[in-house]
Amino acid sequence: MILPLLVPVNSVPTKWGYKAQSHPPLAPWRECWGSPWTEGVFVNAYILQFLTGLQLGAIYALIALGLTLIFGTLGVVNFAHGALYILAAYAAVLVATKIGFLWAVVLVPSALFCFGIVLERGLIRFFYSRPHTDQILVTFGLAMVNEEMLKWIFGASNIPFSLPRWGAGNTILYGLGVVVPAPIPGLRIPLPLVQGFIFYPTWRLLLILVAFCTVLGLFILLQFTRFGLVVRAGRREPEMLRFLGVNITQCFTVVFGLGCMIAGIAGVFGGPITQVSPGVGMALLVPSFLVVVIGGMGSLAGALVAAVMLGMALAFTAELAALQQIIIYLVAVVVLLVRPRGLFGQKGVFE
Amino acid sequence: MTDDMSVLQAARSSASPTLRPRGLGGRDYVVISAFALVILTMPMWILTIGGYEALATKIVIWGLFALGFDIMLGFTGYLSFGHAAFFGTAAYATGLSLKHLTPNLLPALGISIVTAVLIGGLIGVLSLRRSGIYFSILSLAFAEMLHAAALSIFQQYTGGDNGLTGLPLPMLFGLQMQGIAVFYVAAVLLIIGFAVAWKIKRAPFGLMLRAIKENPLRLEYAGINIWAYKMAAFMISTVYAGIAGFLMVVYQPYVATQYVHWSTSGEVVIMSVIGGVGTLVGPILGAGFMLYFENVVQAIIGEQWRLVLGFVFVCVVIFLPGGFVALGHTIWHRLGHLVRSRRRNVSDMETDSETSGRSSARAGAYTSGEHDAC
Amino acid sequence: MPAKAILSVQGVSKSFGGLKALRNVNLTVEENSIHAIIGPNGAGKSTLLNILVGLIAADEGVILYDGSPLTGLSPYKIIQKGIARVFQTPQIFPALSLLENVAIAAFARRDGQFGIKMREALRPGHPVLEEAADILHHVGLAAYMSEKAQYLSRGDKRRLELALCLVSKPRLLLLDEPTAGMSRHDTNRTIDLLRALSRQGMTKIIIEHDMHVVFSLADRISVLAQGHVIAEGHPEAVRADARVQEAYLGGVHAQ
Repeated sequence: MILPLLVPVNSVPTKWGYKAQSHPPLAPWRECWGSPWTEGVFVNAYILQFLTGLQLGAIYALIALGLTLIFGTLGVVNFAHGALYILAAYAAVLVATKIGFLWAVVLVPSALFCFGIVLERGLIRFFYSRPHTDQILVTFGLAMVNEEMLKWIFGASNIPFSLPRWGAGNTILYGLGVVVPAPIPGLRIPLPLVQGFIFYPTWRLLLILVAFCTVLGLFILLQFTRFGLVVRAGRREPEMLRFLGVNITQCFTVVFGLGCMIAGIAGVFGGPITQVSPGVGMALLVPSFLVVVIGGMGSLAGALVAAVMLGMALAFTAELAALQQIIIYLVAVVVLLVRPRGLFGQKGVFE
Repeated sequence: MTDDMSVLQAARSSASPTLRPRGLGGRDYVVISAFALVILTMPMWILTIGGYEALATKIVIWGLFALGFDIMLGFTGYLSFGHAAFFGTAAYATGLSLKHLTPNLLPALGISIVTAVLIGGLIGVLSLRRSGIYFSILSLAFAEMLHAAALSIFQQYTGGDNGLTGLPLPMLFGLQMQGIAVFYVAAVLLIIGFAVAWKIKRAPFGLMLRAIKENPLRLEYAGINIWAYKMAAFMISTVYAGIAGFLMVVYQPYVATQYVHWSTSGEVVIMSVIGGVGTLVGPILGAGFMLYFENVVQAIIGEQWRLVLGFVFVCVVIFLPGGFVALGHTIWHRLGHLVRSRRRNVSDMETDSETSGRSSARAGAYTSGEHDAC
Repeated sequence: MPAKAILSVQGVSKSFGGLKALRNVNLTVEENSIHAIIGPNGAGKSTLLNILVGLIAADEGVILYDGSPLTGLSPYKIIQKGIARVFQTPQIFPALSLLENVAIAAFARRDGQFGIKMREALRPGHPVLEEAADILHHVGLAAYMSEKAQYLSRGDKRRLELALCLVSKPRLLLLDEPTAGMSRHDTNRTIDLLRALSRQGMTKIIIEHDMHVVFSLADRISVLAQGHVIAEGHPEAVRADARVQEAYLGGVHAQ
């Protein structure tokens, strides 16, 4: 299975997934105007790989955050999270083509929030007391139904998700003191350490920014609001909170909706990069789950760190195709065997 | 109070009876024979419900796969999402054996079993150190690793994306393996597999596995080496998967990379759950149901058969955790009640409620699974 | 007459991070006696028990059972040596019938740690099942023989668990707060039950909070406080010990 994130514009669909072209995913910038400053410069290559690592990590981070938030607070293993992502991507395509991309940014995550609430009230809450196996099975079933539904409505192949004009194209990152020739179009951002100037797709930078803002927003919500306090307390002692009169049920519902919303944000911004086809949801879920496990189930910081680590690992092993495929599984297996609670997980959970 | 005291005295001094333990009884043989009959005649009765012979073969193969899977999930309580690893690697091993060694079936069967044991042993030793969801994820991770390796590192052996092609027609000592011959080979293996699984279920071994599912802590503190039992169950289930993989290649001389993909694991999970985990007939029934849907119902409702199936799966998980078998039991008992209550009204007919009451008190005393002897 | 020590805890220490749970614990349990270990919360009683059964490893010290050390053995191996444990919350097999519950223990005793016996089938008339049915008759739970164990009352679950433990004919029975959460009536019944167990060939170690239980049953008491044994001896001596009274600060119940 080829990880769908390594599917740049120039990928080739095969029967069971996507096959990347022979040149590595960093290629797009090379196809733009070359510059005597950019070719073969060591530092630049590293910076580009680093940025790609961040971008790859960004999508995993958003999905993993939702997963670990739901698991840590509700104790539910949600195998349908990848399905939520791709559902959001499809919705974003629809809204973007009909009304406009910015509307998609607002409407799709909100819609997914509401959907999450409905889903929790209607189905998930009955599974709180059922064993984890049953939770996995029912959410897996939902993911399957979702995938088939999308296949039915939209067909099994990619649907194009064109970037809005302001988001397409490249950003020029230039080093200090460098003058970028005026005729070259694109947003210019200074970045120390860059030798000369390099191009990087704007959209990927935007994705990193969006992911960062979402994480920040979540952090602020959990640390500085009363709701966040209830969530954090509820993870440890839900019964006690109920006893104190806090409406923990409502809290759980909102948390689930929040998790879905984050997946929605990921879908809107990540869609153009991962491609929008029914199989992408499940294909993303597996590595995201491994990220959650590596970071520690229930730990938000862990999910973030592990996602970025995975992104970096993928970006920096791009040249070694075989290793890149299996590196996430290797790391997950090692972590699960040596330290099952993950990097930041709590001891005693499942140990 | 006095009974409490003598209680435990007796418990401590219970003499071991001079009776020898008995093996499978008449009822068990009836079940196995009935099963064998149904399976062996499948190519005939499947035509009446719109099926065809090749479908019967596929059902038997996937039934075997699901049966082995159920030993882990239904008995021991471990949900493995990576069983495709054993199915697929055994399939590759079979393909390679047929292609490079000899078209004869038997060496291929041997090699596939050995492969399943080796890979199963390796993955089992590592995965079974954890339980619950960690085990599920570990099994998935290992399977995905094998899948990725099959596509990249071992490409020259596996044919990469295209799968392993160019396989000769398998032979069994001069007899060409195609059509009905394949079915009967598969059917025999399934019947043997079912008999073995039934024996496990009725033996103390099966009871121990169920104890692991119920309360591994208590079992450990009864002095049982849980890990050994888990490994044994896991190995058995991988051998089943391996033989199913072998049969798949015999049926269709081609090994697709799909065979090691997690979606194959997912399919066997769905089959087992829809049919009814823990009952042995359930997963086979589930395999039949799913394949019937894929091949026959698809012709009626078209592309959306998977959607309908997924829907059925979700409904079963939510409302009918025991699967179709549980549904069958409920219907059977309801009918039984109807029949029995009607009899009581007829005054001059001797009600068998007393006799059935006595026998069920004895029979029902044993296992909650006693009723599973359908 | 010097009694043989069946269990000897020597210099056991255990820390969890910065927290010293056990500090140089020394304890000797005589064979065929009823030995109680008491102490305020956090004294390290559970830790000691867990080290004893092999769940966690001690940092220092050794535990000798019948003269041979228990260090490094997995729990099931320790149990195989003739030890049984009753848990705070009764540990039984919930979805299995009572008969199956007892049968499992009986098979464990008969076949040892691992035995795949495929030639047998659990049918009416199987000797182990007959034995299990007899045990249930004597325990007074025969009426529920084919019921699932999860439907038993707590007291009955406790009786079932005790039956499970006794099937293996243990030489050392570990009781982890056996009357936790019980009513006075149930507690008294449990005391009678434990008292009725023959002393011959079975030593009992009871970890308890309830002083009434302890003083009704115990031959010797060890008092654990802050990870250390602060007093040990006959119940009357322990009761009068000033350090014990101080450790409990009035927690000692009047008779």
